[in-house]
Amino acid sequence: MTPVDYLQFVLAPQVVNGLALGIAVVLVALGLTIIFGMLDVINMSHGEFYAIGAYAALALGAAGVGFWFLLILVPVLMVPLGMVAERLLIRPVFDTKDRHVTTLLVTFGLGLIVEDVLKIIFGANTQRPPTPIPGATEILGIILPNYRIFLILVGVAIVLGVAYVVYKTRLGAMVRAAAFDRNMAASLGVPVSLVYAGTFAFGVSLAGLAGVLLAPIYSVFPTMGRDFILLAFTVVIVGGMGSIWGAVVAGLLLTQVQALASLIISPVWTDPIVFGTMVAFLVFRPQGLFGRLGHA
Amino acid sequence: MLAISGLHSHYGQSHIIQGIDILAGPGEVIGIFGRNGVGKTTLLKTIAGWVRASQGAITLDGEALTGLTPERICHAGVGFVPEDRRIFPGLTVGENLSLGLLQVRGRSSQDEKRAIDGIYDRFHRLGERRNQLGTTLSGGEQQMLAMARVMVGKPRLVLIDEPSEGLAPMIVAEIFAIVRELRDQGAIILLVEQNVHEALSVADRFHVVERGQIVFSGDAESQPDRERLLQLIAV
Repeated sequence: MTPVDYLQFVLAPQVVNGLALGIAVVLVALGLTIIFGMLDVINMSHGEFYAIGAYAALALGAAGVGFWFLLILVPVLMVPLGMVAERLLIRPVFDTKDRHVTTLLVTFGLGLIVEDVLKIIFGANTQRPPTPIPGATEILGIILPNYRIFLILVGVAIVLGVAYVVYKTRLGAMVRAAAFDRNMAASLGVPVSLVYAGTFAFGVSLAGLAGVLLAPIYSVFPTMGRDFILLAFTVVIVGGMGSIWGAVVAGLLLTQVQALASLIISPVWTDPIVFGTMVAFLVFRPQGLFGRLGHA
Repeated sequence: MLAISGLHSHYGQSHIIQGIDILAGPGEVIGIFGRNGVGKTTLLKTIAGWVRASQGAITLDGEALTGLTPERICHAGVGFVPEDRRIFPGLTVGENLSLGLLQVRGRSSQDEKRAIDGIYDRFHRLGERRNQLGTTLSGGEQQMLAMARVMVGKPRLVLIDEPSEGLAPMIVAEIFAIVRELRDQGAIILLVEQNVHEALSVADRFHVVERGQIVFSGDAESQPDRERLLQLIAV
């Protein structure tokens, strides 16, 4: 195989696949990092909210709702779900001394319940919705599935949209202010409780949207959240808790490392490399690449 | 009119504020003096809603503030400039200021722009640094921003805690000029300050706090009251 052939048929497809996976991970990590950075809550049920989004898309799709409408409908439906979860599970323990542990355990428990409920309702078997955009396109000699190209473009648009809201609007300034100093933000008139609930719901809604988008590629099954959530947590820690750009950079970087490392070494070593990176960051740079939300 | 009567508050088991009464009218600056740890900062935090009042009443123009959240106290017309400025370091100067606009509901975007432009006209340095992050400002600039952030909301009561702490004399003069402007706008100002001489230059009246209680009240213009004040706080 010539170097050009290697580039075209081995390296480039691997990079593109890594990019699609990276975008998928970023989409899941985005909601997680916002909740983490803003509320200081480790939402262990985030993967299950992602699964709920995927199952909602599956069920509504089977009922005849079109994919394009699902992209709007499912995230909207996830908002009240997030609001209720925050109100019933997070807020009652939010001001307790052991908030970190308590919220971690509460959301972990919620995740287990959701997983079982999904099993009861939909069964344990893997299901796969039809690809909304079938076919493939050849770009520079590389064959790319159309839906993956769409996913990359939509992922970029979502990240830019979220970044715009968080970093360029007054609503985003309120979120970042409340993330940094709850009392001071409240003393300036920021409705902190509403901002917290809204942020949690927004994060959950993003997880649901990720579920809709990724279901056609990664299939739908009750434990699907677990596959992504570990990588998403790694992305959040390496990128910096609450940092959107951190999640993007870390998500793309780590998935490329995963994709390219498997060309050189045995694939069994890719996970230790990725999670080893997370451990290294926790020890040597706990604030991550880009620092915390609301912090300079 | 600000009316505080029989105010008590606790930090955990510690009884910090032990029955404080204060009356103040529009355009009045009230100095709150006392040694470290006597409860001056806790008094302001209790009024701002950061510390829950365990007893007593706080009213501003007849509206009860006791028991309200800091957000609702803000909307009732109270601005707070805390001791350590509490600038949001990850927000730009402009974003920090824009949060001050939240105090007044229902302002048009034109009114808001006018208010912010007014601040930039008044504080040129903030205008020049409007796109810089809060963390990049000097201590004096941060204090200016903290004061301006409150000013833009046009509060009726302003709580200011140690505004001159750690600042160069020139900046201190500037900060006290801002206090005078707030007073001239008709705001009631409660000023906690270690720099007694500067504080007396703007204050109309003052209270001395010891162990969570007011032990002496005086007129800032009265020489005997000033002398008594200096004895009490041993400056």
